[in-house]
Amino acid sequence: MYADAVQAVIDELGRLPGIGPKSAQRLAFHLMKLPSEDTARLTAAIDEMKARVRFCDRCFNVAEAELCPVCADDRRDASVLCVVEEPRDVVAVERTGEFGGRYHVLGGAISPIEGIGPDQLRVRELLARLDDEGVAEVILATNPNIEGEATAMYLARLLDPLGIEVTKIASGLPVGGDLEYADELTLGRALEGRRKLAGG
Amino acid sequence: MTITRLWLTDYRNHREVDLALDPGVTLLLGPNGWGKTNLLEAVAWLSRGSSFRGAPTEALVRQGAERAVVRAEVDDGGRPILLEAELSPTGRNRIQVNRQRVTRLRDLLGHFRTTVFAPDDLALVKGSPGERRTWIDDLLVDLHPRNHGLRAEVERVLRQRNALLKQARGRLTDDVAATLDVWDAKLVEAGEALAAARTEALAALEPLAAAVSDRLTDGRSTLTATLVAEWATEGLAAALHRVRDDDLRRGMTTVGPQRDDVRLTLDGLPARTHASQGEQRSSALALRLAGHRLVAERTGSTPVVLLDDVFSELDRERTRALVSLVPDAQVVVTAASVLPDEVRFDAVMDLAGLGAGPGTGVGAGAGT
Ligand SMILES: [Zn+2]
Repeated sequence: MYADAVQAVIDELGRLPGIGPKSAQRLAFHLMKLPSEDTARLTAAIDEMKARVRFCDRCFNVAEAELCPVCADDRRDASVLCVVEEPRDVVAVERTGEFGGRYHVLGGAISPIEGIGPDQLRVRELLARLDDEGVAEVILATNPNIEGEATAMYLARLLDPLGIEVTKIASGLPVGGDLEYADELTLGRALEGRRKLAGG
Repeated sequence: MTITRLWLTDYRNHREVDLALDPGVTLLLGPNGWGKTNLLEAVAWLSRGSSFRGAPTEALVRQGAERAVVRAEVDDGGRPILLEAELSPTGRNRIQVNRQRVTRLRDLLGHFRTTVFAPDDLALVKGSPGERRTWIDDLLVDLHPRNHGLRAEVERVLRQRNALLKQARGRLTDDVAATLDVWDAKLVEAGEALAAARTEALAALEPLAAAVSDRLTDGRSTLTATLVAEWATEGLAAALHRVRDDDLRRGMTTVGPQRDDVRLTLDGLPARTHASQGEQRSSALALRLAGHRLVAERTGSTPVVLLDDVFSELDRERTRALVSLVPDAQVVVTAASVLPDEVRFDAVMDLAGLGAGPGTGVGAGAGT
């Protein structure tokens, strides 16, 4: 329909999460109208991010070295692990200043509609860490929506026979929301008021 | 509760509409195809966040326009509320309540309620169980906005569970079983809550429906409405377990609130199969009216009644009964032509007289 070069950009943008064909089209035409310095800055920023940023070898948070800043900090308590869906959730919990343990980033939540099952998440890696790092408590801090709740329930059932204390942050978070958008006070209270699900 | 003013921009066939509405009974008069139902649909949109005709957003935006705007000024017991919706076929709809942006649909619900009567209400009695589930679930949302979340949760969990069942291709591996257990637990939680809410509402409706049906049929027949859930006695958890192999084979969830029905009886006999067309029409009317009264009773504010071309389907007796049964409500009625003498109007708006027509605007401010 459009010139091949434009269609290629539309196709690439359309592959991004949350961007439908119409939005991809709108963004592509917007980019076309931008001065080349602006688009160069955007592509350079993406290249820079790809070159410098990687996932933490231990917790899969974003990192600029083998370990992310949390994992590299020996003052953090290795016996408490907070399980979140995405790196941005690490930022949200860190902002509360209420948590002194380490993280484990699953890389999403169970959602068969999107073809995501436990195998597509870093669940095996989580199980491996429990022994290696001597974890005594796992806090499930998945998003307070249906998929996040299902993921938390799946993990609680999986961890139950292992004798590890499993708690879940729950109270006060708006249902259907993202952890990322919960304000610091609410999330801090939710961390304090976590509910025991299994083990211990 | 009354709607005092309605503005539309590029909604269906209407370019610009600016209507001041009477708090009593208003007749909207105009030939078919001039968009009378579209006006009612726009009003109802603000009460439910969707078209009562089940139309997708694309269909609500005028051909060639990028978005449609629906605005209304509502009076709820002296408290003015400004509701605004910008409907976009491509992006997200933008909704504002008193000029405050709301991001969740449930924050729109509860500010404004409508009861819609339409000619195809007959499907409530004659149609598939899905028609009756939609009716009772819509009513639950009117009774309390939180039920919107419950309904959405059941739908979402079912979509997830069905997707998993399809992906499993009939094989129950340990992994599938463990994940399916989780979705079952979620469905049990939300599904049983939805069924309990449906049962409670139907029980509360029964005396109201009986009283209304008495008036509509001169006390000749008794109408009952009860929830039929195949899994009710064993519980949803046990039922899901029982049908698991079957669900895996068919790649879908065969038991749960999405399969339930509301059984309607007239004098003890199933209304769907054992009632005349006239009795079925009265029953549908009685159910809507009973719902209207229950919402008014529970929320303390009477929904605005929208009657879409219903008088053409009703005889004089039922017409008189219908009008007498919504005494305190603001009513907007559409009709193509002559009105029954039984109906007294406080205001008549002739779309033709206002210079409207297919594809044009309506109203004092439109200048067409
Ligand atoms: Zn790390």
